[in-house]
Amino acid sequence: MKPFVCLAREYHLAGCITTSPIVLISRDAEAVAAAQQSSRGTTANSKGSEDNALWVDRYAPKRFTDLLGDDRVHREVMSWVKEWDYCVFGRRQGLGRGRKRPRGEDGDNLDEWKRPEEKILLLSGPPGLGKTTLAHVVARHAGYEVFEINASDARSAQVVDDRLRPALESGSAVGSSKPVLVVIDEIDGATGGSDHSAGFVRKLLSLTYDRPKKKGRKADPKASRPLLRPIICICNDLYATALRDLRTSARVVRFSRPNDIHLVRRLREICDTEGLRAESRALTALVGIAQGDLRGCLNMLQLIKAKGREVTEPVVRTAAAGMKQVDMTSTSVLNDLFSPMARKRTKDLGLTEEDEARYVRRLSREVESTGAMDRVAEGCFEYYATCHRHDANFARYLKAAEWLTSYDVLSGEMWTEREFALAEYLPFMFVGFYPLFQERGRPKLERPKATWDHHVATTANQEIYASLARCLRSAAARNHGDYRHLANGQILQLEFAPYLNRLISPPLNPVNRQIIRPCEKATLSRLVDIMVALELRFLRDKNDDGQLVYRLDPPIDVFVTYDGKRASDIAISKYAVRHLVATEIDDKLAAMRSEPTEKNKPKRSNFFKQRAINAGADDDTSLPAAKRSKQDHIGPAEKVAVDFFGRPIIASTAKASSGKEAKIASTKTVTKYNVAYRFNEGNSAAVRKPIKVSAFL
Amino acid sequence: MSLWVDKHRPRVLDDLHYHAGLSARLRALAASGDFPHMLFYGPSGAGKKTRIACTLRELFGKGVEKLKIDQRVFLTPSKRKLDVNIVQSNFHIEITPSEAGNYDRVVIQELLKEIAQTQQVDLSAKQRFKVVIINEADSLTRDAQAALRRTMEKYMSNMRIILCANSTSRLIAPIKSRCLLVRVAAPDETKTIEVLRYVGKKEGFDVPDKIAHEIAEDSNGNLRKAILVLEALKMQSTDLDKPLTIAKPDWETYCHKVADMIVQEQSPQRVMDVRAKLYELLSHCIPPTVVLKTIADRVVDQVDESLKADIMHWAAIYETRMRVGNKKIFHLEAWVVKVMSLYKHFFYDIDMSGFDD
Repeated sequence: MKPFVCLAREYHLAGCITTSPIVLISRDAEAVAAAQQSSRGTTANSKGSEDNALWVDRYAPKRFTDLLGDDRVHREVMSWVKEWDYCVFGRRQGLGRGRKRPRGEDGDNLDEWKRPEEKILLLSGPPGLGKTTLAHVVARHAGYEVFEINASDARSAQVVDDRLRPALESGSAVGSSKPVLVVIDEIDGATGGSDHSAGFVRKLLSLTYDRPKKKGRKADPKASRPLLRPIICICNDLYATALRDLRTSARVVRFSRPNDIHLVRRLREICDTEGLRAESRALTALVGIAQGDLRGCLNMLQLIKAKGREVTEPVVRTAAAGMKQVDMTSTSVLNDLFSPMARKRTKDLGLTEEDEARYVRRLSREVESTGAMDRVAEGCFEYYATCHRHDANFARYLKAAEWLTSYDVLSGEMWTEREFALAEYLPFMFVGFYPLFQERGRPKLERPKATWDHHVATTANQEIYASLARCLRSAAARNHGDYRHLANGQILQLEFAPYLNRLISPPLNPVNRQIIRPCEKATLSRLVDIMVALELRFLRDKNDDGQLVYRLDPPIDVFVTYDGKRASDIAISKYAVRHLVATEIDDKLAAMRSEPTEKNKPKRSNFFKQRAINAGADDDTSLPAAKRSKQDHIGPAEKVAVDFFGRPIIASTAKASSGKEAKIASTKTVTKYNVAYRFNEGNSAAVRKPIKVSAFL
Repeated sequence: MSLWVDKHRPRVLDDLHYHAGLSARLRALAASGDFPHMLFYGPSGAGKKTRIACTLRELFGKGVEKLKIDQRVFLTPSKRKLDVNIVQSNFHIEITPSEAGNYDRVVIQELLKEIAQTQQVDLSAKQRFKVVIINEADSLTRDAQAALRRTMEKYMSNMRIILCANSTSRLIAPIKSRCLLVRVAAPDETKTIEVLRYVGKKEGFDVPDKIAHEIAEDSNGNLRKAILVLEALKMQSTDLDKPLTIAKPDWETYCHKVADMIVQEQSPQRVMDVRAKLYELLSHCIPPTVVLKTIADRVVDQVDESLKADIMHWAAIYETRMRVGNKKIFHLEAWVVKVMSLYKHFFYDIDMSGFDD
């Protein structure tokens, strides 16, 4: 069988140029190979070499009009490819015709290279519907040469650099004058999830966003050039984790199952050409079993032909027993668990009522085939309680909970003890949901979201805890290890976070600094001390209504906010109070910075502090009267003194005004020294000029 | 500038307010010159770390209070980088290996070996050995504990280990047998009040009797919490004369709300409501075991006597399962459904299986 698979691939690679064959993928290869071998065995002498081709290839559509399925999908793909015409061919094609005018023709969503808005097209749909064929046919129709990467190639990030980028940048395939169009088949199997920085998808996306240095200037040869050729990606599972990023930035086209009548008609034509007698009923049944998988149907027919039989319904049913199982996504499994089988599907499969009642084997296999049992578990958990059936004494809920917890315990045990032999039992944990909760006519279940939402919220909060812990640790570093015990996990979450919020929100009245009461003054200074020590800040910000607010940074108030409501016993301090506290904090910080012992302390959010200092300097009235009078002593010259960066040196004045006249004297003596400072003169071409230090002060 | 919790933390053994017998023993140990490996255990907020710090002070003198805090990067076998915070003085080093999660073994192995293989160079040091303090020792993985046990014997001449844990149950026996176990019990109410008054006096105010009692009762032997509450209250009202309610931590209030919801109504809709609340609690990083315990305690307070044992029984069962599993919410909800079912059956006192379809 192996050699055949290789042969098929070679055939395909060679065939790229002349025809548009359907790509053989390894998982189909076995069945196909079996069919092929048997067909060779029986008919080789009668027919000869032509028979070596698979029907799938022989009857693959060659022209756009041959395509089977939803015309709208085909046209959508075609029009996207046509949108590239402007970029790839100039204004040559597609314009004169007048119809199918590209979307971005008016130039609204075209960039400087006249590319469509989405540079990548993502085709998704179940296997066997002709996605790959469509891509090839459309590409050829629009005048491109196809450059394909599929499951037989490695799809690591390196491939993008080694193969894709050269192909895209040269613009045309080797030995061909046509421009290239890249088809990436089965991209959902690409390596390295999207969160992986070196993953294939990430790399692919970066390709689309690369921009050249600048127009006009000579381009650096190493710099990446913009993407100027279309890329079509093909996948089965649109929601595969690897595609998370791609989904948002590509144009997504979904394939749906073509109408059964068309499929049957096409099969009938083929049977007629091949001289195979077929009952219409049998063909309908075949299409039904294959769930629209045309490739599957064709392989099946070829197999039947090879065995020298006629296509009748019983033959189809027996042959279909070995047909490959369709890929199940976790969502479709959930739907099967929570609602009975559609009547049509039962009919397609030719199941009797008795067969249908035997659900355990069927459902457990479905669950197993998803390979994502955790997601099925999450779905079961999310949906079992939304069931409409009355459950007066929670009997069914109890059972559901029992199944779910057993599943979790079993899988937990399996992973920790690495006893993967247990995995066999896991699918049966969900089968129990079927008799308990199946309901006909319930709306189609969506992908479960709650777990993901919960995960997002949790990580956000963890981040805040982590930043608070960091604050505590750096506070510990400055306070001789004082705060360090509070930063440990549970203490932080259960005790410190709630009480810290109460500590930093004392009931202060919005007053300005002059008329503060002595008792409040003590509270205020204590508050400021704590906040400074813990590096908590009030940052000025605008809320949704455009009002100015001060918000805490880090936002530790989330720990007292449940269901979006703050704890009732904590008053939200008013804007004026927060403003007052924020300025006090800044003053304190400024004072600390100017103290030599605190010089090497890490400085946070310098930018903001600087702005706030300026703000504080602007309204002198907010300073206490005492401070103001002292400031007058210092004299106007020093008051407007500006440092090197143009900031008023509020730091030293604030400190000086805090009561120590001696310090003022010392700052004044500083100016008496004559310091000659010579810069290490190197090979600078700058203009040199002696300058006094005072010019900087 | 520190919080009162730290500001009034006793620095020497003589200043400790309670467990005088224990202090005397620690002092004797420190003086004996034959200091063993130690394991301090006891409930949260009982004063384990305070006692450890005091013992170190007794061993090495004032130099041990000169702390340096820095971060070290460890490389896991899979080349991932782990940041671990390290607090150290010239005589001791303090680590919390659980910061490294499952890779705590790496931290233990690398760090301990490094310390153990270097001798004390300071000739004027009072002791020839260094001390390693391992916080949250009960969350050490088995691998890490196994890595610890040999080191503890091999490098006894250079190093002593002090483990600090809430309970000894998760420590493997070989470790326990290598340590001197010291249990630090939580202070009782009178001791807590005494400490609160001491803090008040140092800060220049009197703690009213009523408030002191309430805080002590509320803190349930957790002195750290008691002092935090006191300081929070003092911030809320400077003279502590207004009628004050002691704020419970918000997650606790919220848990109680959930418990009330369970008792009020038992219906599928309620199950969904409770689920939303449980998600909210978990996303605030409240440990699920704590959530379950708090809710169970509150539910038990409100239901009939005959149900209490059952409810606790199931809480225990589901907590056990939760510890094995990964999806904590499944087990929490399973317990909620169980309780609702129990309660409903009890309330109507009839077998209602006939009503079900």
